[in-house]
Amino acid sequence: MSNHREQWGSKLGAILAVAGSAVGLGNFLRFPAKAALNGGGAFMIPYLVALFLLGIPLMWIEWTLGRMGGRNGFGTATSIFAAVTRNSTAARILGAIGIVGPFIILIYYTFIESWTLAYAYFAFTGTLPTTGGQPELRTFLSGFQGLEQNTYFSHIGPAYLFFTITFILNFFFIYRGVRGGIEKLSRIGMPILLILAVVLVVRTLTLGTPDPARPDLSIPNALNFIWTPDIESLGNARVWLEAAGQMFFTLSIGMGVIIAYASYLKKDEDVVLSGLSAASTNEFCEVILGGSVVIPAAFVFFGAVGTMEIARSGLFNIGFVTMPLIFGKIPLGALFAGIWFLLLFIAGITSSVSMVQPAMSFLQDELKISREKAALILGGIAFLACQPVIFFLGHGIVDELDFWGGTVFLVLFATIETIIFGWVIGIEKAWEEMHQGAEIRVPRIYRFIIKYVTPIYLLVILGAWGYQQFVPTILMTSVAEADRPYIWGARALVFGMLALVIVLTIYAAKRLKRSTTTVEVVHEN
Amino acid sequence: MKTEALIFMALSWGSILALLLFSYIRMFRKK
Repeated sequence: MSNHREQWGSKLGAILAVAGSAVGLGNFLRFPAKAALNGGGAFMIPYLVALFLLGIPLMWIEWTLGRMGGRNGFGTATSIFAAVTRNSTAARILGAIGIVGPFIILIYYTFIESWTLAYAYFAFTGTLPTTGGQPELRTFLSGFQGLEQNTYFSHIGPAYLFFTITFILNFFFIYRGVRGGIEKLSRIGMPILLILAVVLVVRTLTLGTPDPARPDLSIPNALNFIWTPDIESLGNARVWLEAAGQMFFTLSIGMGVIIAYASYLKKDEDVVLSGLSAASTNEFCEVILGGSVVIPAAFVFFGAVGTMEIARSGLFNIGFVTMPLIFGKIPLGALFAGIWFLLLFIAGITSSVSMVQPAMSFLQDELKISREKAALILGGIAFLACQPVIFFLGHGIVDELDFWGGTVFLVLFATIETIIFGWVIGIEKAWEEMHQGAEIRVPRIYRFIIKYVTPIYLLVILGAWGYQQFVPTILMTSVAEADRPYIWGARALVFGMLALVIVLTIYAAKRLKRSTTTVEVVHEN
Repeated sequence: MKTEALIFMALSWGSILALLLFSYIRMFRKK
């Protein structure tokens, strides 16, 4: 058992770090678009069902497994899964998904995050062409991304500069450690994020009727547009699947990062109330703040039809084309555009620093590498892995990495950890472990939910996604012939990393002679 | 605003605010 593992400075710091990991670009871009496209107010029914049957139970599962691992000196699913299955190598291998998955997401997420920093700079310096219309902003974005040479950008240099700054900032906080880096970032970043989001919500909800000639394009009608329930949509399985998917993306569950973060808790620190607090903070940022900016603002300027087109146009278009355009139409637009992109950047960086932590914990706890060296090694690997994403952006690499890291691995890992929690450890012991040091009691109905409902829910999602997406994506049915080598390259990266981590975790287990280690499932005092 | 939109908005915001207030009040409540 390691005596030198870091710990969070305070419980609030841990909650803010988990909430910071959960609150990301998706809260402000993905959720409002999904709600608008899937039944408006009615989307909240499957969404809240997913929150209470999937999101919150998985939060508790991951907080509990993480604290349990930390008590035994490690913070990765590889060792936790192996220990609770009497050192099953298969369980250890499955746990590797919880290290590789978030690292894969980091590779493309950091680049997108760097666009938000760059756009904040462009907005504050008045160089963002917010008054030029959609074609201008699309041209600006394409030029910035290096997809074309145009009047705004002749090369990818500016994008690379902002990527490098963003990358160094991320690894600066990771290098400083859990308490000295990530916790400080979250304690400062999260309140700033909340203030910026509230400023934007107030600005949006006081837009009134910007065009007196179109009195129907008003904020009350915008709220009608987003909240009027289309009850018939509840009969559509796709809506339920979209809501469950959003729950994964928004809460950072199924990644392994909450397990890693929770492993730095004190051994008897509460996990029940902390998990609930982190989840509710994220939901506040998503439903109340995130739901009150993009769609209402789009409605008052583009109407219902235009807003639906915007919601369908994808996250990049909403964030980097539509929103600057909207800000270009209001007084002090450059300032509000800058606030918007700064908000996205803070939401992004508090998430991206968490994606490295499972790998950091693995290197530190299991390969006995110092924190500083681990940060430099992972920084080097991540930097190299980011290069294809930057230079071959137009070839579908981001979508492919997102399919594996951000979809398949999330649901697969969540299913495995739920089965391990409710069935391998057993709901009796798991329940007892979860309530060790707990400040509130979880309603007993959750014993049934965690054991039966959550895993069945996950298996249904896994099956439905597998049926809808897995086969067409594997066969690259919608990928152009010229892009296929890039997709194979992305797959080689994903499975190469997975193979490397599997080999290393088996090597580490043998070297540390953990063959007799069993996790102290229920702490006894 | 339409009544049905208002009801759905109030219920969604209300349930999330209730969860948020409950968790933070319990956390900061003096033991």
